[in-house]
Amino acid sequence: MNVIFSVIFFASLAVIAVTAPDRLLSSLLGGAGRAASTALTLFCIYAVWMGLSRVAEKSGFSRGAAKALKPLSKKLFKTENETALENLAMNLSCNLLGIGGAATPYAVKAIGELEKDGNDWAQMLLFVINATSIQLIPSTVIALRTGAGSGAAFDIFLPSLICTVFSTVLATALFTAFYKLKDKRRKLWR
Amino acid sequence: MALIIPAVFIAVFLFAMFKRVKIYDEFSAGVGDAVKFTFSIIPCLTAIFMMCELFEASGLADAFTGFLSPAFEWLGIPGELTKLILIKPFSGSGSLAYLTDVIEKYGADSYISRCACVCFGSSETVFYISAVYFAGMKNKKLAAPVIIVLISTLLTTVLACLLCKIM
Repeated sequence: MNVIFSVIFFASLAVIAVTAPDRLLSSLLGGAGRAASTALTLFCIYAVWMGLSRVAEKSGFSRGAAKALKPLSKKLFKTENETALENLAMNLSCNLLGIGGAATPYAVKAIGELEKDGNDWAQMLLFVINATSIQLIPSTVIALRTGAGSGAAFDIFLPSLICTVFSTVLATALFTAFYKLKDKRRKLWR
Repeated sequence: MALIIPAVFIAVFLFAMFKRVKIYDEFSAGVGDAVKFTFSIIPCLTAIFMMCELFEASGLADAFTGFLSPAFEWLGIPGELTKLILIKPFSGSGSLAYLTDVIEKYGADSYISRCACVCFGSSETVFYISAVYFAGMKNKKLAAPVIIVLISTLLTTVLACLLCKIM
């Protein structure tokens, strides 16, 4: 991210210095302003879902949900860490419900737990699964289309489902293959 | 479909009442966690938004779009979606803004809008996620996973445009 940030930032700086130097400061300030308003929107989403999830956690509701998903996540992520597994399960179920905002804090907690075990495989796999999106219900898109007067706001449901499954399966397969290859090479070099 | 969210809330609250959890105290504590979490992501969020805004203002974003549109069209992705697809990995709100533009411009039930919706729904903010998830971690060897995810996302976009044509 450091490289990407520097390259894009510097290239844009160089161009804007030539074409419209007076717009440099205003665009930086504008970006910061948009970040602030986005942070506020994100806070609203997090406040709702983290409030709810705290209630679910204290009542033992989420432990139940995690237990149901545990056999699957244990096998996939190759970890025995109970706290990590619970957070992983919550992350996956929020994603499936299409509330990605609520999924983020669980992912951060799970990654922190996995870091303690030095389990980079699980950390990166969790990233790959989240970054390819696994949504059963594309709630935002459906809401937007209904708002714009669509005659059939749900007709994108099936193509979306196929695409979201396709991307996650493909990326997980590629990642597994890549990791195995790297492991083999590492053993050869030793 | 719209009933799923109320159902989740009712289930959790009923269960909590049954277990005699102090719902108000716990809910507020959860909101407190949200405050802390929001503050923790603001530094990265702000830096990335400044970069995006500068990229747009410099005209490089448009040049980039114009340069890549033919390649995207060769893959069967409408040129109108180039910007949405390029912005999505960086910023959820940026791509959401662009998605609303497309829906308004071409109508909610047009081929372009449906494509845009499926692409939006089946992809994620790859760079944003990598920044937020691994913000405090030592493990930062993310180059390979990021590339793998981007390849899958591109292939999925091609598939999405195909599916929208036939479905």
